Amino acid sequence: MAETQQHGAGQAGTGHAGNAHIHLPAPTAWPIVLAFGFTLVAAGLVTSAGVSLLGAVFMLAGCVGWFRQVLPVEQHEEVEVVEQPVVIASSRALVDRIVLSTTHRAHLPLETYPVTSGIKGGIAGGIVMIGPALLYGWIAQHSIWYPVNLLGGAGVAHWSNPSTADIAAFHWQGLIVATLIHSVTCLLVGLLYGAMLPMLPRHPVLLGGILAPVLWTGILHAFMGIINPALDARIQWGWFLVSQVTYGVVAGIVVARQGKVPTGQSLPFAARLGIEAPGLLLSRPDAGPPRGEDKD
Amino acid sequence: MSTVPLFVDETWQPPSRGRVGMFSLIVGESAIFTIFVVAYIYYIGRSTYGPTPQILDVPIFNSICLFSSSFTIVMAEHAIARGLLRRFAAWWAMTMLLGLEFLAGTAIEWRDLIYNRHFTIRTNLFGTTFYSLVGLHATHVVVGMIGLSLVMLFTLLGRVNQGHAARIQVLALYWHFVDAVWVVVFTVVYIVGR
Amino acid sequence: MADQTLPISAPLPDAEAQRATRLEWLHSWVVTVDHKKLGILYVVYALFFLLVAGAEAIAIRIQLAWPNLHFVSPEVYDELFTMHGTTMVFLVGMPILFGFANYLVPLMIGARDMAFPRLNAFSFWLTAFGGLLLYFSIVGGFGLYGMGNAPDVGWWAYAPLTAKAFTPGHNTDYWALALIVSGFGTLGTAINIIATVASMRCRGMTLMRMPLFVWLMLIVSVLTLVTITPLTAAQIMLLIDRYLGGHFFDAQAGGSPIVWMHFFWIFGHPEVYVLVLPAFAIANEVIPVFSRKAVFGYPAMVAASVGICFVSLTVWAHHMFTVGMTSVGNTFFVLSTMTVGIPTGIKIFNWLATMWGGRIRFATPMLFSTAFVFQFLLAGLTGIMLSVAPWDWQLHNSYFVIAHFHYVLVGAIVFCIFAAIYYWYPKVTGRMLSETLGKWHFWLFLIGFHITFDTMHFVGLLGMPRSIYTYEPDRGWNTLNLIISLGGFVQAIAVLLFAWNLIYSYLRGERAGADPWDAWTLEWSTPSPPPDYNFAVDPVVRSRRPLWDLKHPHDPDWKYEQ
Repeated sequence: MAETQQHGAGQAGTGHAGNAHIHLPAPTAWPIVLAFGFTLVAAGLVTSAGVSLLGAVFMLAGCVGWFRQVLPVEQHEEVEVVEQPVVIASSRALVDRIVLSTTHRAHLPLETYPVTSGIKGGIAGGIVMIGPALLYGWIAQHSIWYPVNLLGGAGVAHWSNPSTADIAAFHWQGLIVATLIHSVTCLLVGLLYGAMLPMLPRHPVLLGGILAPVLWTGILHAFMGIINPALDARIQWGWFLVSQVTYGVVAGIVVARQGKVPTGQSLPFAARLGIEAPGLLLSRPDAGPPRGEDKD
Repeated sequence: MSTVPLFVDETWQPPSRGRVGMFSLIVGESAIFTIFVVAYIYYIGRSTYGPTPQILDVPIFNSICLFSSSFTIVMAEHAIARGLLRRFAAWWAMTMLLGLEFLAGTAIEWRDLIYNRHFTIRTNLFGTTFYSLVGLHATHVVVGMIGLSLVMLFTLLGRVNQGHAARIQVLALYWHFVDAVWVVVFTVVYIVGR
Repeated sequence: MADQTLPISAPLPDAEAQRATRLEWLHSWVVTVDHKKLGILYVVYALFFLLVAGAEAIAIRIQLAWPNLHFVSPEVYDELFTMHGTTMVFLVGMPILFGFANYLVPLMIGARDMAFPRLNAFSFWLTAFGGLLLYFSIVGGFGLYGMGNAPDVGWWAYAPLTAKAFTPGHNTDYWALALIVSGFGTLGTAINIIATVASMRCRGMTLMRMPLFVWLMLIVSVLTLVTITPLTAAQIMLLIDRYLGGHFFDAQAGGSPIVWMHFFWIFGHPEVYVLVLPAFAIANEVIPVFSRKAVFGYPAMVAASVGICFVSLTVWAHHMFTVGMTSVGNTFFVLSTMTVGIPTGIKIFNWLATMWGGRIRFATPMLFSTAFVFQFLLAGLTGIMLSVAPWDWQLHNSYFVIAHFHYVLVGAIVFCIFAAIYYWYPKVTGRMLSETLGKWHFWLFLIGFHITFDTMHFVGLLGMPRSIYTYEPDRGWNTLNLIISLGGFVQAIAVLLFAWNLIYSYLRGERAGADPWDAWTLEWSTPSPPPDYNFAVDPVVRSRRPLWDLKHPHDPDWKYEQ
């Protein structure tokens, strides 16, 4: 429903009546004189002192004139109010509210896996993942140290362009660095996995086991050729993918075996902050706009 | 901020535009002074040649004069707010005297530095930062003095009355700012920097 | 954009009288203290310089279109990019945005004028004369050879190039003096806007009921107070060095050119936000009206804007990663710069949420605003890339940086300025701008913009440095540079179409009426153009959308707002 209202100009309210006069500040030339004088004073620095002098005269005149405008009382002019009817109305009479169904937020789950389950999964996956990696080294290069050195090669300080035999040999620095990189990465990926779980809570094994490893392998495959071509040439991407999937599947299974916890999505903000107060959990029907078929 | 009343009442009273404007000006001016003060502090002891800040004498009397002018102008504000014009004129004249003393003191200090010790703005980096920072402050004192003397002029002409108290308070605000800046400049130039 | 309230009622009898009326008309503009007239003056002044600086940009692009070209001399080329930058920032960006603020803020808060109307006039004329002084340098600033000479030290004017020994003549002095003059004008306007918003609001217009436009202009003004003044201070130091023989930036005497860089960017980076926050202000008004929904997350928008204001003051040295700061300094400025992404991200999501589920009308203002949202997102993303110090070491002073900040300045700010002009032109003149021409303008400008500035990223990545006069043909930049220049011409055509639209619609445009867009803020409750006194009756508001309350008396906003 729309309503048409007639106004002089503006809205209903307190103030003047009908065809009154309104005080407005009187137009005055002194500001422009002062501004011109100020500019001339500045311009005198790049031209000649005479210009600055002229500017100073203008400024003085401008200041005096300005003061006489505002002191002791500001000068005003009377402007007559012209009746200009303005109709404040909208042709859009129908107000539609965005209808929110009760299941609107259903994709934010009521319960999900805790973040710690992701970390546990990451640890378990990291341990199991060692298996296929070492298997690859043993089958492809007849040395379980080969994959270890590929990962930890940065720790072997004197290496430059190592031969395959070099990589297949045992280096204790490489082992330490590889162990560090492996455990930290597994923990962090597990943490990330746990943090993502509330967003994609339904199939942890599918997400962790298939989707994430494939994406991760794809990204690495795309970038490794640019970042480190020498390393890229030595990576067997099929085996790489297998060990990644192993990690993911094990992590996913571990997560799936953990219990779920409620998310608190449906609780009021204060309750989620941990404030305990009586009456907090009761809904307030008078708060917020009405929902549903409330068309005006 | 969400605790505004739903219905507007008769107590709708926005702040005075003069005070808001003057506070804004003070914020802007403070930024200018901040830049000069930062430059001064950064350049302390970096002059590669020439005199060092040890040649300065601490202008204690001057500073006391300027600081006490803040007090006298407060008294003047109180007087005009209660309509005591004579008392107002007396305190106002006192403020102007103290301000004049400060300017005269600075002039004497500079004269001594320039003519007796041949220390000018182009002598070295210290000279550049010293004269520009103290000079910037002195410029503000001069502007403030012009404002004060205009009010004095109108007071002597009998054009000032209790109704102008608000405007005079705005001007006094500027004077307080000039004083407050001197606290910083004094500390930096004559205490920290020396 | 001109005044409609001329006192011309009937055709005058003879030429003499007509001339007198015209003089009277001119006089009324010179002596005016009316915020609406001054706002129009600001915008017209800025649009004029937009054309000037745009022509300078076109000249730069012709020079760079092919390798080894000599369209202009190297000296003139330096002057061109210096004047282009200085003009666009100081004589186009700030005046036009302050023009909008001048015109709209009092109308939006239900006031009859600004808090200090005479100061308002003074500020405008300072800005205007400052601009004229800058351009007078072309004839007045005779340099080494006694020829006309404009400033040529870049808009950042790094020391020690600005020292008397390296830049003799007066052109750098023109640069500093003109900007000091216009800087005082800007300071005056900022003070005026703050005082207006604080003290001139109509009854019921509490802070949390102000239109977001007003909020942002308030924040911009506060930011201007602490941003323009450091530049003024630094320029005073520069003048002391050049005129009085000071040593502020003289490395031999112990001074430091790096200090100039810090001071300049303490001004220079918040300045970007001084320019872009008004663009947000415009989008905040246009997007809700054309989505037919109240703006999403009003308090979050206010908080994000205040947050941007504060964070923007702590990021300046990300312009200086290649100077060689300590790693602690680098890390601080990397992190603070990335922090800006949070409040700006909030804003982008709020605009999207405002559009979501709305009945969107793609009139020209909305088209420009929609393009703004996406282009600003991209500009922000390259900003995050450049905030990473190592990435910046690689790409500093390359065309990638040029592309990034032109994405902000053109893709966000100019697009919003166009949106604002299409949106409020009916209010100012009483006539609608032509929608057909407007759509042509939008699409041509959009296409030209992307041809130019998307491509610029790639020449930057390929290593083309900024501010170079020309380049060898074997660098692999030839085709890309030609494409960039062609895009520049497409944009120029679009801007000329827009200028034609402004003139044509002023004479022939459809009558607008008071409220052509069915909008909700107070300025639309006045006739178009508004009378001198704005409101015959002081308005009283009870919610953020006072006109919505009047249009929908059974479903007013104040029932829901807290």
